[in-house]
Amino acid sequence: MTVDTNALLIILTGALISISCGFLGVFLLLRKMSMTGDAISHAVLPGIVIGYFVSGSQRSVEVIIGAGLLGILSTLMIDALRKKAKVQLDASIGITFTLLFAIGIILINLFAYKVDLDQECVLYGEIAYLPIDLWITQNGLNLGPRITWLAGLNFFLVSGFIYLLFKELSLTSFDENFSSAIGIPAKGVNLALMSMVSYTTVSSFESVGAILVVALLVVPPSTAYLWTKGLIPLLRLTAALGILIAILGYYLAFWIDSSIAGMMVAVAGAFFFGSALIKGKWPQMLRGTSPSPESLLS
Amino acid sequence: MITHVSQPVLEVHDLTVSYEQHPVLWNVDLSLPAGKLIGILGPNGAGKSTLIKSIMGLITPTSGYVKIFDKALPEVRSRISYVPQRESVDWNFPASVLDVVVMGTYGKLGLFRRPGKKEIQVAQNALEQVGMTPFASRQIAELSGGQQQRVFIARALAQQADLYLMDEPFAGVDMATETAIFQLLQDMAAAGKTVLVVHHDIHSAMNFFDWVIMLNLHLVASGPKEQVVTEELLRKTYGGKLNLLTQVTDLIRKQDFNPLKR
Repeated sequence: MTVDTNALLIILTGALISISCGFLGVFLLLRKMSMTGDAISHAVLPGIVIGYFVSGSQRSVEVIIGAGLLGILSTLMIDALRKKAKVQLDASIGITFTLLFAIGIILINLFAYKVDLDQECVLYGEIAYLPIDLWITQNGLNLGPRITWLAGLNFFLVSGFIYLLFKELSLTSFDENFSSAIGIPAKGVNLALMSMVSYTTVSSFESVGAILVVALLVVPPSTAYLWTKGLIPLLRLTAALGILIAILGYYLAFWIDSSIAGMMVAVAGAFFFGSALIKGKWPQMLRGTSPSPESLLS
Repeated sequence: MITHVSQPVLEVHDLTVSYEQHPVLWNVDLSLPAGKLIGILGPNGAGKSTLIKSIMGLITPTSGYVKIFDKALPEVRSRISYVPQRESVDWNFPASVLDVVVMGTYGKLGLFRRPGKKEIQVAQNALEQVGMTPFASRQIAELSGGQQQRVFIARALAQQADLYLMDEPFAGVDMATETAIFQLLQDMAAAGKTVLVVHHDIHSAMNFFDWVIMLNLHLVASGPKEQVVTEELLRKTYGGKLNLLTQVTDLIRKQDFNPLKR
């Protein structure tokens, strides 16, 4: 086991990403929209490809804007399918994101000769390459890994977003009708949240991949939800879990020489199942069958 | 039997609401006086909640319009409070009773501003009024149905509005709590507030309301309780259902039927 700068940077980046995803995931969870987060993380693919095609670079603002627009489009599409076409929520999510993702794949193949982007990279990502992808300014100054900076910026923006809109986010998550009635625009708040989810997904997909972003959006908040009774403690525990997942994920992956992002999510899953075992309601038969002392006496 | 008033708090004009070609409210036209406790009565599916939601702007009507304090809704939003049906939210939300009641002050706070000492004081007063102070730090999931209902009323009180619209605030509430809440609503009306309540029970409606609106797709009656709550109008509102009930009561009385006797 070694503690060097690379390990520290990878853990720091992993923790920043899991905390950003976790914070947004808490509100998705409370809105019963965790699967919408899943949908967005896949639906942004065509936006990424178009942004990439327009700018010619994977690291451009256009990519983030493209993805953000597609994220919002997918939210609107899910809503329209549900309300106008009377499709069930889960079905409308399934229809929307598979369709958009498929368009993304077709676009990648069409532009494959111009675009250095493949499904593998989008789906899985690789946080371990982070130390060799450096941000070097024009006069040769080395500022450290680019992805860490991206994750830091993302963390800063997500935290700011939640800090500023905390009261609006919590009220619209709890009672949408009431918030509309007192003049807080529930739809606007919802779209702002979905744009943040889209942006976070794109910002994170290079390092942890689209599939694992979904896990970070859903699993740590669900775990923390089992242990807490208030919104602030829920956010705090989600953040703590994010850090713990990054540290354990890195060292376990290092130990068995496997994917760090994969291990982070596996650790998150283990935490969740552990919590569910302790906090969940289990039928009597799973708790053992030894008779109680009273029943022996009678 | 529709009584119109001069200088109304709330006017509804030719309001028609339909869900996909199905009218659920048909040409409702009424005006309501200030400082009264007003009940909306009608059978299930009569459009009682729809009426309240259209007044609150949560449903867009097919035709007609609503005026509150002689103005359009967006101008007077901060003077109107709304109590949604208890089942419309998930009570497993991680929040304490006080957290939820403080939400009532959010409308006046505006964007980005956080509730401070003043807002918490307002919320605590509202909790005091509904007798929920001992539960302030309790998680809302751990409350009974009647207590949850009182939390919603406290949240509306924390808005410090002039007009209150309440959608079935007595669903799942025991008699003692119902009487206590009615007492509170009567005090509010006496203080000049207007309270509009969707209600099921005709019997308690007779005891507590000043003004009654009877609804069954169209407006059957709107006026002072003494003039409106008559057998004829009730029959018109509840139609065959009330008819059947009275017939059963008559039959039981005639045959001296008692299931416990045999």
